[in-house]
Amino acid sequence: MEDYKFLFKIVLVGNAGVGKTCLVRRFTQGLFPPGQGATIGVDFMIKTVEVEGEKIKLQIWDTAGQERFRSITQSYYRSAHALILVYDISCQPTFDCLPDWLREIQEYANIKVLKILVGNKTDRHDREIPTEVGHYFAKQHEMYFLETSAKEAENVERLFYEIAAELIDQARSKDGSSAATTAAQRQTDSGSIGLGFSSLSAKAAQSNCCSGLGLGNNDNASGTVGSNNTSQGG
Amino acid sequence: MALIRCCFEPPELPEFFDGFVQKCTDPSCCCGCCSALRPRYKRLVDNIFPVNAEDGLVKSNMEKLTFYSLSSPDKLDRIGEYLYQKATKDINRKRYKLAEIAMEAMDLLLQACHAQTTLNLFVESFLRMVQKLLEDSNPNLKIMATNSFVKFANINEDTPSYHRRYDFFISKFSSMCHSDNHDLRDSLRLAGIKGLQGVIRKTVSDDLVENIWDAQHMEKIVPSLLFNMQFCVNVMFVKKNLMATGDLTPVEDATHITPPVLAEEVLRELVGRASFGHIRSVLKPLLMHLDRHELWVPNTFAIHTFRIVMISIQPQYSYTVVETLMQHLDNNFKSSPKTRTSLAVVLSKIIAIAAGESVGPSALDIINNLLTHLRTSVSTTTEITAEESQYQEALINALGEFANHHPDYQKIEIMLFIMNTVPDLSKKSKSDQMLQNILLKSLLKVGTQYSTVSFEKAFPASFLQPLLRMARAPHDPTRMIVMQIFQALLDRHQNEQVLSTVSVKPYTALSQEPPSRSDIIFTHKYGANIMQALIDSMALSDRVDALSSSYNTAALLIVEMSCSETVQEFLLFILGIQQVAHTVESLGAVHKCNLHSIAIALLVLISRVTGINNLLEYAQKIVDARREEAPYYLAPLLEPKKTSAKNLNLSLPHLAIDKLALGECLQNAGMDAQRLNSGAPYALHQTDNPAHRHSWVESVSAHMTQRNSSADLTVYTGDVDSVNSSPGVCKRVLSQEYTFDAMKRALAEPTEAAKREQREKQLQIVRTFRESEFDELVRRTEPKHDLIQNRLNELFNSLAMERQITQSGDNKTLQLQATNDKPIYETNFPELFYY
Repeated sequence: MEDYKFLFKIVLVGNAGVGKTCLVRRFTQGLFPPGQGATIGVDFMIKTVEVEGEKIKLQIWDTAGQERFRSITQSYYRSAHALILVYDISCQPTFDCLPDWLREIQEYANIKVLKILVGNKTDRHDREIPTEVGHYFAKQHEMYFLETSAKEAENVERLFYEIAAELIDQARSKDGSSAATTAAQRQTDSGSIGLGFSSLSAKAAQSNCCSGLGLGNNDNASGTVGSNNTSQGG
Repeated sequence: MALIRCCFEPPELPEFFDGFVQKCTDPSCCCGCCSALRPRYKRLVDNIFPVNAEDGLVKSNMEKLTFYSLSSPDKLDRIGEYLYQKATKDINRKRYKLAEIAMEAMDLLLQACHAQTTLNLFVESFLRMVQKLLEDSNPNLKIMATNSFVKFANINEDTPSYHRRYDFFISKFSSMCHSDNHDLRDSLRLAGIKGLQGVIRKTVSDDLVENIWDAQHMEKIVPSLLFNMQFCVNVMFVKKNLMATGDLTPVEDATHITPPVLAEEVLRELVGRASFGHIRSVLKPLLMHLDRHELWVPNTFAIHTFRIVMISIQPQYSYTVVETLMQHLDNNFKSSPKTRTSLAVVLSKIIAIAAGESVGPSALDIINNLLTHLRTSVSTTTEITAEESQYQEALINALGEFANHHPDYQKIEIMLFIMNTVPDLSKKSKSDQMLQNILLKSLLKVGTQYSTVSFEKAFPASFLQPLLRMARAPHDPTRMIVMQIFQALLDRHQNEQVLSTVSVKPYTALSQEPPSRSDIIFTHKYGANIMQALIDSMALSDRVDALSSSYNTAALLIVEMSCSETVQEFLLFILGIQQVAHTVESLGAVHKCNLHSIAIALLVLISRVTGINNLLEYAQKIVDARREEAPYYLAPLLEPKKTSAKNLNLSLPHLAIDKLALGECLQNAGMDAQRLNSGAPYALHQTDNPAHRHSWVESVSAHMTQRNSSADLTVYTGDVDSVNSSPGVCKRVLSQEYTFDAMKRALAEPTEAAKREQREKQLQIVRTFRESEFDELVRRTEPKHDLIQNRLNELFNSLAMERQITQSGDNKTLQLQATNDKPIYETNFPELFYY
């Protein structure tokens, strides 16, 4: 008996100080650590969520943004199912670095990886990058886009839940086709990712049910999820 | 199942739950129904958990469980599964103590049952359990899980496990290596490193499981280890500094293992296990880490790391490290000279360790690579910055270090190789000149590492020739480097410093040893060439440093090679210097004076070295006379710019060294002076053609006929020379060994009388050939060819007769010509001249 149906690895990347660790902390522990120091190397968090009636385990690897740790963080891209590329909406340079990050992702990550662009720190008033700019950039590079605030817990749940939902869709479509991964297969996969974006955004706009459920579960984490399941069994 | 769950996990009733657990600890009771229904193994497992989590594992019940699993091993996998489920629930409920107990139980079971064949399935649950604990954010659980994992890693499994995957463990342990927890930072990092060590141990020897050498794993493992080691070096530095200032007393604590120490150990282990194909996968992330963390400048850590790698790597692969590092240098050609210098320094530090193992092509490959770097460095920089030249210096040092650890015969090979890469003198561009200098410098570096035993080996013809060409280079620094190379290779008794200044006073610290037989042969063969080059180089420039450098070489040559057999050659050389000073008009007055002082200084030196007192007296006489009349004819050498040429009276023939007088001196000392008397002193720009010079046939027509043939005749006599035939010189005493072989040889050898007879015969032949006229020689050897000659003549005659028949014209004259006037090609060579 496994306590989850899917396991997904999510890796957060982006410049130092854009709030990657805070996003993860907010999502996994529900708190916002005020004086968070720079991450060293790679941090690891786990969280089990329930999407569409399936229990999903999310392995979240939170990488250091500092240049010097790039040697080790790169090695974590490869096995990732989803990459969250974070920038700080109040800091232009972090946005300007995005092409570099994309290049790095291209080089080290799986080509089929799901990429999500996240503009963090929407609670700040000194915004430098308008939402449209971020949205446009994401569209250009075939990424899903979301603006979040780890401090205000805005869109954080939604971010991870939608990633989970998208990854499930991907996994299922892969199971359905169940063919060897040829070049053609890869193409169709990337096509499905493209489709996925639209469906994702549609879902996101349409309802908050998914994230609502996540919020409800948030406090006592996977513990409740586990017991829920067993009680259902009884 | 559902029923059991229902009983066992009452969802939201903590009070009831507690009571329930209490009841359940007693195996006999339990709440009625379930006890009877539960399988035995589950009951046994349940019983090992204490009522109060703080009490720890129930030991007696644990023994029961162990016994049960040993007696019915088929249940082992189910026990594992059940324990895992229990622990999962406990962790979810944050009852960490219970989870720890479950882990402990699994450990014990694993230890007890590791010989069982069904262990494989149990291990699955075990590893899932470890993973579960690692996934939690509780640091204590992580440490505990790591310890369990390490225990597991130390177990040798019999059955292969194809589908086991370790990538999560590698990722997680690497992440733990970077842990930044406040209280438990070090223990977490230690755990991470230990875990990695465990994974390495588990996978490295087993081809069936995951390939640990994959880039995706190595890129996590290596940087994690380095990150921890890096910290160590910093700490070491701080400690060193503190100790230097006296703030810290060194406290050696051997039992306490710190993350850096352990990380280093693991790195050693990893590198030690790497096979040829895997070294690069270790080195690539290593180099990348050093790049990213900017650890090249300063390069203490880089050196430290590479030393570790070099020492622990399997020796046959060590040169791969050098190669890889050099490739990295290639890739870094655009980075700052400082970085490159550091890289080159690291290279020079480790290259020595690799040198012992690399032979033949790989050694030359490395040399070639280094030279290429030097070349690119020279060609890409338009002007020499201090940093760039430091970089070049570092490369040259690396080259020297590398050569230093090779056997001498390979050093020669290396020098030859470098020599061949030096650009031709014909190229006059500035960059070429720079390159020449740099390459010669590297040659010098290798040369200084070489300890000369015999000159013949140190100067193979193919090496000596280009070197002599370089000695005539128009560029002063180039020439001086060449001189230094000569000095390095000639100087067998560390006299180079002693002889660095020109002086007629005795050099007290001079140490010498009579030349060996092979050295004398070498002198006869090539000495003239070297001296020729020296004269040319002396005439090229009036710079004092260049001149004294040439003097130094000449003096070393004399100290190392002169003996009664070669002294005449050297005297001719000295006379040659003087003659150049006399006859070559283009030289400045100061330059001439300096040449004179060099000549006399060399004369004094040679007379002291060879111990010919007559010569010394004569030399002293000249010195005294010069001191009186013309002190500028004596050392020290004059600075051309500071001395005005007006006060120098150069027409002082009575102060010059006289050739005849030298000859007399030699004769008075009972030595042969024929060569001196008959030979011409050396002159400028004589072509030297070594292949011809010592070839005895060709030299007949050469300009220096006498010098060479006589030289070779001396060699010839030399074959049977013994101590008593060279008066005035004590030979190098060979240590006599009285072994069986030596005795046998002595018996087998011809007697002394027979030897003497043979020697006399040879001497006679030599004398005949040396002294008698050419025609006479021809006549002597002719008779043997009479037969063929007559035959030929007959043939010619018959031909002439035939022609006579066809043309009746001036046949008489033709016939006459054919018979009497022998054309030049019919002249017979003496027998000896036939090869």
